[in-house]
Amino acid sequence: MDLYSGKTALVTGATRGVGRIIAEHFLAQGASVIGFARGEARLTGPAYHHVQVDLADPLAIQKAFLGLHKQVTSLEIVVNNAAVLTSQYAMIMPPAAAQAMVNVNLLAPFIVSREAAKFMRKTKWGRIINIGSMAVSLEPMGDSVYAATKAGLSTLANVMAKEFGPMNVTCNTLGITAIESDMLAQLPRDKIEAIISGLPVPRFATPADILNVVDFFASEASGYVTAQTVFLGGVN
Amino acid sequence: MALREAALREAAMGIVLDALESLNQELDLSDRVAVGPTTPLFGADATMDSLSLVSVIVDVETALTLKYDAPISLTDDRAMSREISPFDDVATLTDYIVELISEIAPA
Repeated sequence: MDLYSGKTALVTGATRGVGRIIAEHFLAQGASVIGFARGEARLTGPAYHHVQVDLADPLAIQKAFLGLHKQVTSLEIVVNNAAVLTSQYAMIMPPAAAQAMVNVNLLAPFIVSREAAKFMRKTKWGRIINIGSMAVSLEPMGDSVYAATKAGLSTLANVMAKEFGPMNVTCNTLGITAIESDMLAQLPRDKIEAIISGLPVPRFATPADILNVVDFFASEASGYVTAQTVFLGGVN
Repeated sequence: MALREAALREAAMGIVLDALESLNQELDLSDRVAVGPTTPLFGADATMDSLSLVSVIVDVETALTLKYDAPISLTDDRAMSREISPFDDVATLTDYIVELISEIAPA
């Protein structure tokens, strides 16, 4: 039996990296998937609906949801995955890059979650999953704003968990380590490998590691699990 | 002009009253609110709690957004800074909606 048969899932940043892995998994497990991304669709199929939207623009996100109201009647699962990363020492971090991280990594999940909750309150069922980062715990130099936005993501989920709890909507955060992706390729490989070698489980994350926790948070049985952050690889 | 405003007002009032009816369907019998133009929404006279008011606002915003095909927010700074709150009762909220709609869909 497919895990997500009959459910509709929205994944932000669905065109590549972790978002694409999660979107493909949901599709393989029977869900209808809505992908929000700035770029063009890279997934196809009758169960996939792509929405090109600039997640740095709150109004654009609201307009995208306006379109969704005309196309889908329910939305059960949201994965706030899209993120941008500029790793740079604070004193030389371009303000525009810092602003972009706040907009995409923190403000967009807020807007997406609140608009999704308006669907979920009608069916009294929902799972909101944020993709966080080990940077929250490791606090690497250069990642001041990135780590702060990802820390904010957990707080966002925790407060929303209280507001949405009566609607049977859970909000949780998965703090991932490093996985082979376009975002990882932006960073110095030797520094990443040094960080990974210091983890309790000293290896890169695999898609299966991520999907295991996504499935846990999204499952029917996890209705009593909310306001939690799970880190991979032994990060805490 | 007056005819258009009257039609807008009737439509807006209908949306607010529908939201109250929808809220009542979710509430226990003893918690249900009156459905009418003078129903207080917020303040000392209001009988609904804050989460119920949020539900009403979300339903009204969603209905307006779909009807006028543009994101409409009832809780922006302009609404919150008014001397007379749009959320005093159904009538004041209706007035505020008519004002918003007149701006996004001028005659």
